[in-house]
Amino acid sequence: MAKPDSAECSLSQLSAGRMPLRYLRNAGTIGVAGQLKLLQAKVAVVGAGGLGGHVIELLARLGIGNLTVIDGDCFDETNLNRQLLASMGTMGENKATAAAARVAAINPEVRISSFPCRLTEENAGELLAGADVIVDALDNYSSRRILLAAARQLAIPVVYAAIAGFTGQISLVLPTDQSVRQLLQQPLAEDRGVEAALGNPATTPAVAAALQVQEVVKWITGTGQVLSGKLLYFDLERCLFELIEL
Amino acid sequence: MNVEVRLYATLREHAPPESPAGVFTATIPDGSDLAALLAVLAIDPAKVHLRMVNGVSAEWETVLNENDRVGLFPPIGGG
Repeated sequence: MAKPDSAECSLSQLSAGRMPLRYLRNAGTIGVAGQLKLLQAKVAVVGAGGLGGHVIELLARLGIGNLTVIDGDCFDETNLNRQLLASMGTMGENKATAAAARVAAINPEVRISSFPCRLTEENAGELLAGADVIVDALDNYSSRRILLAAARQLAIPVVYAAIAGFTGQISLVLPTDQSVRQLLQQPLAEDRGVEAALGNPATTPAVAAALQVQEVVKWITGTGQVLSGKLLYFDLERCLFELIEL
Repeated sequence: MNVEVRLYATLREHAPPESPAGVFTATIPDGSDLAALLAVLAIDPAKVHLRMVNGVSAEWETVLNENDRVGLFPPIGGG
């Protein structure tokens, strides 16, 4: 069987108006012009756990040409119920490193830079610079504040999501947008939300991650309506989606 | 006056027993704000992170009107 095309080959095919076989099923929605934008884009994913694993998988299959993945954690057994990159074979492995291996196995066209470290005020500017959009796949408020501050400084939009139990919330935070930043600045007794009690079952991160990646696609291709200034809240147990104006 | 209250996730435990889904009507004095509604519902404000009135994010001082739809969400931060 013929091997899929290389990135250069895909780029030249797309530039000539042809959809490479790898992306053929994207033709009716993303289209050749949109696919070319995705392949030329750079997306940073901060966190490669519950949300991040699904986000990275979808971005690789969509053909985002350049990925940066940042995560200082290693997989343990409690991750196996929901984190796509967690498997018996990756136990103990750093999550960003495991992401690079997974992406290479799915789509070698994607250039991935993985950083096995936490995002900090010191390294955020350097690690995130040059991204077209950043995906917030973090699991605590303090790291999110660091991410949003750095993204504002760099003038890069952030696709925010947070999950707990069967519920989740998603928004696109533009550099000038203060609403989600203000939400995350509110004083809280803990650095985590009610997920500390509810936990995180498998379906919630998958749904939230798919919604985040769709925001990435819309932002990069310039199509559809993005969740800027809005927060989409869902409760899978109640089959409920609420769109809130922030 | 009556307002429709929607409690989400863990806040549903504060709903009346006959409304386990967390959606119910609350009767409050005219001119009440969100903070006053919370006192009537006996919910600790520290448990509420996001407040919504008629689909728009609101403050504790937001004054409510008849038949307003109020949504209260706890903090969620998992990933």
